[in-house]
Amino acid sequence: MSRRRRGAAPVARFFIVLNLVCVIVPIALIAVWAFADRWAWPDLLPQEFSLRGFSEVFSGRLGTGWPMILLSIGIALATAVLSTVVAALAARAMTLYRWRGRSLFSFSVILPFIIPSTVFAMGVQVLFIHAGIARTVPGVVLSHAIVALPYAIIIMSEVTRAAGTRLEDAARSLGAGTLATTVHVTIPALLPGILSSLSMCYIMSFSQYFLTLLIGGGSVRTFAVVLFPYLSSGDRTIAAAYGLTFIVITFAVFLIFELLLKRFGMKEERTLYG
Amino acid sequence: MHLELDHIALTLGGKRILDDVSFEVHDREFVSVLGESGAGKSTTLKVVAGLVFQDEGQVRFDGTCVDDLPTHKRGCAIVFQDIRLFPNMNARDNVAFPLKMQHVRKAERHREADELLAAVQLEGMGGRRVGELSGGQQQRVALARALAGKPRAMLLDEPFSGLDEQLRDDMRTLVLDLHRRFGMTTLMVTHDPDEALVMSDRIVYLGEGRMLQEGAPADLLLNPQHEAVSACFGDTSAIRGTVAGGEFSAGKLRVPAPNRADGDAVLVRVKDGGVFVHSLSA
Repeated sequence: MSRRRRGAAPVARFFIVLNLVCVIVPIALIAVWAFADRWAWPDLLPQEFSLRGFSEVFSGRLGTGWPMILLSIGIALATAVLSTVVAALAARAMTLYRWRGRSLFSFSVILPFIIPSTVFAMGVQVLFIHAGIARTVPGVVLSHAIVALPYAIIIMSEVTRAAGTRLEDAARSLGAGTLATTVHVTIPALLPGILSSLSMCYIMSFSQYFLTLLIGGGSVRTFAVVLFPYLSSGDRTIAAAYGLTFIVITFAVFLIFELLLKRFGMKEERTLYG
Repeated sequence: MHLELDHIALTLGGKRILDDVSFEVHDREFVSVLGESGAGKSTTLKVVAGLVFQDEGQVRFDGTCVDDLPTHKRGCAIVFQDIRLFPNMNARDNVAFPLKMQHVRKAERHREADELLAAVQLEGMGGRRVGELSGGQQQRVALARALAGKPRAMLLDEPFSGLDEQLRDDMRTLVLDLHRRFGMTTLMVTHDPDEALVMSDRIVYLGEGRMLQEGAPADLLLNPQHEAVSACFGDTSAIRGTVAGGEFSAGKLRVPAPNRADGDAVLVRVKDGGVFVHSLSA
């Protein structure tokens, strides 16, 4: 046993280092590139630094800058909330109730998972043009939500199944109606799943390039849409500045999610436990 | 409250769970539903609470049919075998929960919750998180929580089977004490014959969804009218009690014991259905 453990330690250490190299190094590289002005081969560090990349990101030229950043965050938040609410309700229907057509419904919500999003996007585009919501912000939110929904449903089904109706039955027998049971018992019990689902859907929307371009038709410009041409045109400084801003915003939003939900779930009667 | 079950029948997934179950629990009475697992005992409790709806028959509280009342308006607090405290609240807020649902002001409901915690011997533990309490303490919080809303009836679903032997005895005494002190009407489900014998005013014996016998504990013990009932009491475990004036008593169980000296005694049952009282005092 102890021999095996000793033998396993270097292997574990190798994978940890490998993981750090694969994740941290690219991010560090982006961070350096974001501030680099001239970085020619074969130097290890850039010859000149500048804030050219960031002034481009926040300049607001060509519909970029803060309005674009806020629009992207807004679309991603709306997608996250919409998908999570729909997923929570669908998960409840699929795990706690028996009804005709349940398995067909379960399959249909997971379907966008299996179909490549590029193929799926074309179908959605045609449908949205007919519905008159192509090239609009709500249309983009809806298309993102459709793609994010299967992930949200898988997460919410898991926590809904685990929670069951045990605590709800107890609450009802103690005089709690539907609304009170939902607020005081059900939502706190599902909170870890709600947090995962919000984060997952947020990042799916925030980084969504193809669907946004196709459904938004160029008139809805989000972060991913603006970022992409810089990557392909080769201006690494500006692309890296966008990348770094992307990471910082995502971290900040996740932090806010966590703080808000902790406050809501762990606090009852204004006493903070744990 | 006077609780009546009138010809209750229920079929779930093609299986008859309850079949023509009728009994009453009088005001302030303690009635046990006894039977093996799968006999439909817990389902009976859920039908009373409105968590499951019967196919046939009526549930009446004080003569009024409650079949259209949702669970939260029936006023039947359940104490579950698996306790089910709310993990996002501390002990005090758990106990205060039914009062919060009745819109009692915060200071008032906290005061009442602390009093109830004292009544279940958990004085000063109100601020503890649920996870910091032992199994026995958690079940006492659940009892206090059930009593807090001043329910019309208390429903106990195998409330002691998750606890160890020593704790179980203490809890039985506590539950009977609370039942008396709060003037509760109590319906308890159990598979433990000893528990039913010493705690109940009356016992309803359920087997495969049907009522096999109903009566006072001594009735079922001494005159079992069905094989299953006699088999249930037929194991060789013993009940400790006392003899006074030719009668053995343990909790609420009273059995004639002529020619036995007053003092500590033990009641023994044997497989063939015989019941003997042995004096322990010399």
